[in-house]
Amino acid sequence: MSSTQPNDFSWIINLLFFGFIMLFSLYGAKIQMWQWLNQIKMGLGELGRMADDSKQKAIDTFKEFGRGQDEVTKGIERWLDYFTIMPVDLDPAGVLRRLDHLLDERRDRFQEYVRELAPNANSSVDQNLENTLEVTQVLSLIFRVVRHYYILGKKTGSQLIIMQVQMQMPELLRMAKAYYDAIGAFSDGKPIGDGLGPLVISKFARQYGVSSEGYVQEIGREVGYYPVEAEGRTIYALRATGPGGTVGKPGFAVKTLVDQNKGEIARIITVDAALKLEGEETGRISEGTGAAIGDPGPEKHAIEETATENGIGIEAIVVKEDEAGAVGVMEKKVLDAVPEVIERIREVILKRTKPGDKIILAGIGNTIGIGI
Amino acid sequence: MGLLSKVIGAIISGAGAFILFYGMSDPNMSWVWFFIGLLVISIGFQMLTAGGKQKAPKPPPPTITEVKCDNPTCDFKEIRDFQKGDYVLKPLDAKCPKCGSKMTIQGVYIVKEEDEKDKINV
Repeated sequence: MSSTQPNDFSWIINLLFFGFIMLFSLYGAKIQMWQWLNQIKMGLGELGRMADDSKQKAIDTFKEFGRGQDEVTKGIERWLDYFTIMPVDLDPAGVLRRLDHLLDERRDRFQEYVRELAPNANSSVDQNLENTLEVTQVLSLIFRVVRHYYILGKKTGSQLIIMQVQMQMPELLRMAKAYYDAIGAFSDGKPIGDGLGPLVISKFARQYGVSSEGYVQEIGREVGYYPVEAEGRTIYALRATGPGGTVGKPGFAVKTLVDQNKGEIARIITVDAALKLEGEETGRISEGTGAAIGDPGPEKHAIEETATENGIGIEAIVVKEDEAGAVGVMEKKVLDAVPEVIERIREVILKRTKPGDKIILAGIGNTIGIGI
Repeated sequence: MGLLSKVIGAIISGAGAFILFYGMSDPNMSWVWFFIGLLVISIGFQMLTAGGKQKAPKPPPPTITEVKCDNPTCDFKEIRDFQKGDYVLKPLDAKCPKCGSKMTIQGVYIVKEEDEKDKINV
């Protein structure tokens, strides 16, 4: 009697087995897409929250300087969509000159806009407001781009689009979080990790007895220098003008200094913060050859070109930190690296230049919260 | 609710394991019990692992302002909370309480401590 029972139920097992195979062979990809879309939706919610919070923070900061809530909100909403069209590179001749022109234009529009929206702010605060606005714009852009691909992927059912967004989501969230955490630093005018270069320059100048009174303003746009006499050499210690948040145009300032001292500059040393590799210690100092400057191109090109044309040795000293550290409030480990960086600059000067030489020492970075 | 659902999840998982192993001994229905057991275990595990509390984001570390006396022979140093308007190399009106010299802000920073759990040692 019992030996006939397996046959009674075997059809259920067979049905379940084939059902399982059919389900996963026909709808496996759809189930996976559904999972990916849910993950993107969760990430998108987080990105949206960060974009909204940063916008609110920007509104709260701007309205302290002379305009009402509605006017500020409307103005910021309008500015979040501002775009810059990169120059055509099909004909690469002169592309950097055109890019530089566009970046100048963009900067002018930013400044004009901030002045309009915060008429009672002084120039230093203006620069911090510009930075605050830029962070808000970045967060809004990340949110809108991810939302675009999420909706597009959902509409078209394209696995390729959905998969790419889902896979990039952790990195996008990490980047957005870094900027989101940094907005307080920009609105309050605190020094950020990227400000290491200008900080080294000012501390170097002070170490050799040159104070803010000795600072020569505007050798380039928002860039000046300290003429420092050290170890029998003349050093032009160059940085953007603070304590407002600006990176200035240090590359063109280096070019101007080289042109003003034709044939006399023996070496160009650049100091900057650099992104560390995972596993490296924050505050680690590295040295190398080349111009340490992370601009879109024109500034770095100006330094390289002037160094090559005049046969000037060019080297870089960088302090490592992660992206969150570079845009967030300066970490103690980075600040503690400053004396060691100054010591290495001294070594470079003594080893690779002669007494009587002229040297350009350029501190690259955002000067927010770092006085001259 | 979190703990209760986890306890129920553990009980269900246990029941699933019981069905799976003891059901296998029934020669006629072993396949059916096998599937039912797997299904019950997966429901139990789902309850065990789901609904975990989202980690509350850590508050950012406080920003510190470091003030030092300008007199190179004086070692006076003051560490205080950041105040709006502070910036590095800002000369202060306050005089050094130790020697009466001028003072300057020499640092504005945070002390970030890396979470041991996030560290991957290679």
